[in-house]
Amino acid sequence: MAAQPVDLALSGLTKHYGRNVAVDSVTLRIAAGEMVALLGPSGCGKTTTLRMVAGLVEPSAGDILIGGTPVTRVPVHKRNIGMLFQNYALFPHLSIAQNVAFGLQMRGVGRAETAKRVADALALVQLGAFADRLPAALSGGQQQRVALARALVIEPTLLLLDEPLGALDKNLRESMQVELRQLQRRLGITAVLVTHDQEEAMTLADRIVIMRGGRLEQVGTPEEIYSQPANRFVAGFIGAANFLRGTVAGQQPDGTMLKLAGGGQLLVPRQEGGAPVLVAVRPEAIDLSPPDAPAPPNGTPAVVEQVVYRGQMTHVYMRLDDGEPLLAYVANRAGGAQGASGAQPGDRVLASWLPAGNKIVADQ
Amino acid sequence: MRGRLSASGAVLVYGAGALILLFIMAPLLVVVSLSFSAAPFAVFPPRGFTLEWFGRVIADEEFQHAFIVSVSLAVAATAASFALGMPAAYALNRWKVPGAQVMEAILLSPQIFPILITGLALLQFMARAGLRDAEMNLFIGHVLITLPYLVRTITASLKLVDRSLEEAALTLGASPWRVFWLVTVPQIIPGIAAGCLFSFMISFDDFPISLWLADAQTVPLPIFLHSSMSRIFDPSIAAMSTLMILTGVLAVIGLEKLVGLRRAMGI
Repeated sequence: MAAQPVDLALSGLTKHYGRNVAVDSVTLRIAAGEMVALLGPSGCGKTTTLRMVAGLVEPSAGDILIGGTPVTRVPVHKRNIGMLFQNYALFPHLSIAQNVAFGLQMRGVGRAETAKRVADALALVQLGAFADRLPAALSGGQQQRVALARALVIEPTLLLLDEPLGALDKNLRESMQVELRQLQRRLGITAVLVTHDQEEAMTLADRIVIMRGGRLEQVGTPEEIYSQPANRFVAGFIGAANFLRGTVAGQQPDGTMLKLAGGGQLLVPRQEGGAPVLVAVRPEAIDLSPPDAPAPPNGTPAVVEQVVYRGQMTHVYMRLDDGEPLLAYVANRAGGAQGASGAQPGDRVLASWLPAGNKIVADQ
Repeated sequence: MRGRLSASGAVLVYGAGALILLFIMAPLLVVVSLSFSAAPFAVFPPRGFTLEWFGRVIADEEFQHAFIVSVSLAVAATAASFALGMPAAYALNRWKVPGAQVMEAILLSPQIFPILITGLALLQFMARAGLRDAEMNLFIGHVLITLPYLVRTITASLKLVDRSLEEAALTLGASPWRVFWLVTVPQIIPGIAAGCLFSFMISFDDFPISLWLADAQTVPLPIFLHSSMSRIFDPSIAAMSTLMILTGVLAVIGLEKLVGLRRAMGI
């Protein structure tokens, strides 16, 4: 149902609103057949970027190339793009089949062929039985699948998804994510997803683009973004992270030893110069042991403030002696509380983790 | 936050509703009942029952003429106001027009000025400009007072249209013109219908503008009614009033049949 996959290139794409810069010189290449998620907090420019690709917003500067062809000045209705909206945007006065047929009618496709392609598209999203209903008679998940059929039936060069599952409840959202991902893979269509939901981005996308303030913060696979965050913002935005600031205490054969103000020490890859180093540590990397255990080579003493049982994990909120917070996720393997080592609020503990858990990040 | 009304609450609400309804309807009921009165003068309560007054009024050539003047004036003014108001409302809502707010305020301003004064000003202007065609003058005056109603209702319905519907249609390959006809218009038809109904009723019922702009040959119904009443006050006046009310009721029923009144009023 999709045409030959094509790549998408953004070059210096910029959008000003008066003096506000919504998107600031974004350059990005998305390979043919790839699904990329633009992820960031609201106001980061992800939606504006997507709308510029669609042609719904005119860029202030920069270029958009689809399959190597500049489309920056091509009006939206001639770009041949399939787009999903958060509120589905089905035409309420048209039946499901008429909704799906809309794009084909705009292209002057004949009656018989339209009927066949509409039936195929509805079969693809398993809604063939609903062809004659009005959108209002369908559930949210069904409506978004109709919108998907409507977007795909025109054989678009690109599929743009603007928070497509944001209005669905959690379980439905997760099953739709899987469905959407399989469909996109099977059709091999190049897709751009806008979301503020990191799990959605990680589930759906080949690569994630983290945006902030109209700029790209980091581009990479979900694993790269999670395990090698470029800076404090990315580390904090994707998953939870503890941030520890250490000063260089000495060089060792296998790296540099950092001293924490709260009394702990961290072994990190070799650092030149004496500037303070910001280290991000994921909560799930941290193990807890009693305070009388031998001092760990990589860790810190802490005081437990709160213990929250969350099923798979127990979240242990701690504070270091200098007042900095520390959060550990302790796995509950046997379903009991043994994983959290029975820590109670007020207990002193030793928090330790493997040096590989230390991620040095830029402080921005 | 939808709770059920308690029994005493229901009594209160329906009681108050009935009183308000009575307050609004009672004068109209008096007029309507008088139009069937067999008495030669308009006195309440009516005596006997007759359709004679209706027969007389309908047979009256002057009444026929005034009725035709009013209906055709209301239809023409509404059509012209729609032709002007629809593009104006659309442009002010969908395009970046410099000074859009000022222009919208100007379009709505005839609603704010006292209509009587507007009519007087129009009369003076038209006399100065040498415009002596009463039909044309009435038409212009009625467009002036009906335009704000259409601009307002169409603007309100345009603001309610989900913009992502239009955007979706654009991405699917519809040109802006086709988006307007295939997506926008179907969403705002109820608003258009409501605006046209208001406009028709405002024009059909208008007295203060017509008072200044009518001449001896072109007399809209409200003016005719008023002048008949100052000659003689018999139940034929009530019969004319009843026919006017009936016209309004028919317009509302027509709207209900066409698009559904609840949709048209946005409720």
